[in-house]
Amino acid sequence: MADNKNDPAEIWRTMVGEMEKGFNTFANQAMASPEFSKVVNQAGSVSAGAQKQMGDMMEKYLTGMNLPSRAQMTNFGERLAAIESQMSEVVSILRDMHQAAGGAPIGDATPRPPRTKRPPSNEGEGA
Amino acid sequence: MTATTASPSPVDDFAAIPTRIQDEVNRAIQRSIKGVEYIASSGPTLGSTPKDVLHSRGTMKLYHYRPMADEIYRVPILIVMATTNRGYILDLVPGQSFIEFLLKRGYDVYMLDWTAPTPEEKNLRMEDYVLDFIPDSIRRVQKDSGETDVSVIGYCFGGVLSTLYGAIFPDGPMKNLICFTTPVDFTKMELFHNFSDRRYFDVDRLVDSVGNVPPEMILTSFEMLRPASRVAGQVQLWENIWNDEFVKSYRMFDRWATDTLPLAGEYFRTITKDLMWDNKLFTDTMTVGGRPANLAAIKVPILHAVAEHDHIVPYEAAKHLIAKVGSTDKQEVILKGGHVSLVAGANAIKRLWPKLDSWLGERST
Repeated sequence: MADNKNDPAEIWRTMVGEMEKGFNTFANQAMASPEFSKVVNQAGSVSAGAQKQMGDMMEKYLTGMNLPSRAQMTNFGERLAAIESQMSEVVSILRDMHQAAGGAPIGDATPRPPRTKRPPSNEGEGA
Repeated sequence: MTATTASPSPVDDFAAIPTRIQDEVNRAIQRSIKGVEYIASSGPTLGSTPKDVLHSRGTMKLYHYRPMADEIYRVPILIVMATTNRGYILDLVPGQSFIEFLLKRGYDVYMLDWTAPTPEEKNLRMEDYVLDFIPDSIRRVQKDSGETDVSVIGYCFGGVLSTLYGAIFPDGPMKNLICFTTPVDFTKMELFHNFSDRRYFDVDRLVDSVGNVPPEMILTSFEMLRPASRVAGQVQLWENIWNDEFVKSYRMFDRWATDTLPLAGEYFRTITKDLMWDNKLFTDTMTVGGRPANLAAIKVPILHAVAEHDHIVPYEAAKHLIAKVGSTDKQEVILKGGHVSLVAGANAIKRLWPKLDSWLGERST
């Protein structure tokens, strides 16, 4: 087999790996400075403000077009989720009542294995 | 005696050139074919270990995984997932699933996973997670399993939530605590600490204006820690696209890494102020809902697994957990790998999972 040091593909791989490492190190040093934090947070703050204004404008536009807004759709989804959650509770209560009355398990119908397992070292199997 | 290694002579190198060229041509052809396949397919199905939803309420989802062994340990496990990411990192595909591994080793496994908080959930606070979601999940695990004791496993920030829970409820029912890459000294997460520098980062303004912190912002902050790695990863993908195993693995991890969750606004505000700025967990001044959460109060057996090359939670940030807890039965394991490869992938299969099994098995009867 040829020596890997002379393999162009291997040289390429090594180069990519080294460049990645070098750039990450350089960027990490730059990002550790307070100046970086200041610039990034100023930009982030402007972007968040613009996003909020855009959302408000869009909400007014949708109201004008007689269309549901994102907030209304989200509220609708919330209500559905709350109904699902309550149904899940009702199913859970019904299951408990059914089992308390001596009925067979519902849903995950396979019987649970016994909780008797011991760690291998205790069974003499060795760890 | 000195061993001599036969290094290939220039003649050998020359003789190998045609084979090498042939290999490269074959790979180039395969790259074109597989490249089209890559674009046209959706990747492997993740998180497919059979499970039932035990409870669902807003952002929280409690799963019970169906046992795979004929006999299981007495003490069930509740896994608390990090709030920034999806739980399927611990259940990738059969053969590479931590959950499947635990089930086959005879554990009864539950997971507290998260869905994206809705805009209405922007007011969820740290207390909702620590004093409501986790205790509620534990009660449901107790009821479902019929056991009083529960072992808790927390990954990354799920580990922080689990330790806060353990510190506030030291009298149980948590029987064992296992944390993966859990930060305690947040000043040592240096880049995150700098990104959230209190002189320049107005967390109140951010939360008040956007509500929940958008997932894009969370993803960007993670990617900024290794800014060249995404591009380098894509170069590696193209080079190895002929290799089905490499592509499968790349797709699994890439999908998970970019599937970031938003964070509830109030919860993010507390993380920033109490942990990032005031470092309260490290200085033993942390409170949740007015209740002190001092790590020294934790007395249960604890295992903390940390990664040698973790760029998200560096060892310097995580190393204090074992020193600070009040447990007498406590152990830290430092394993090769990074923040994700510690818990998932080939490294985890060889290193972390067997270690955890041998530690937890003895404490689960």
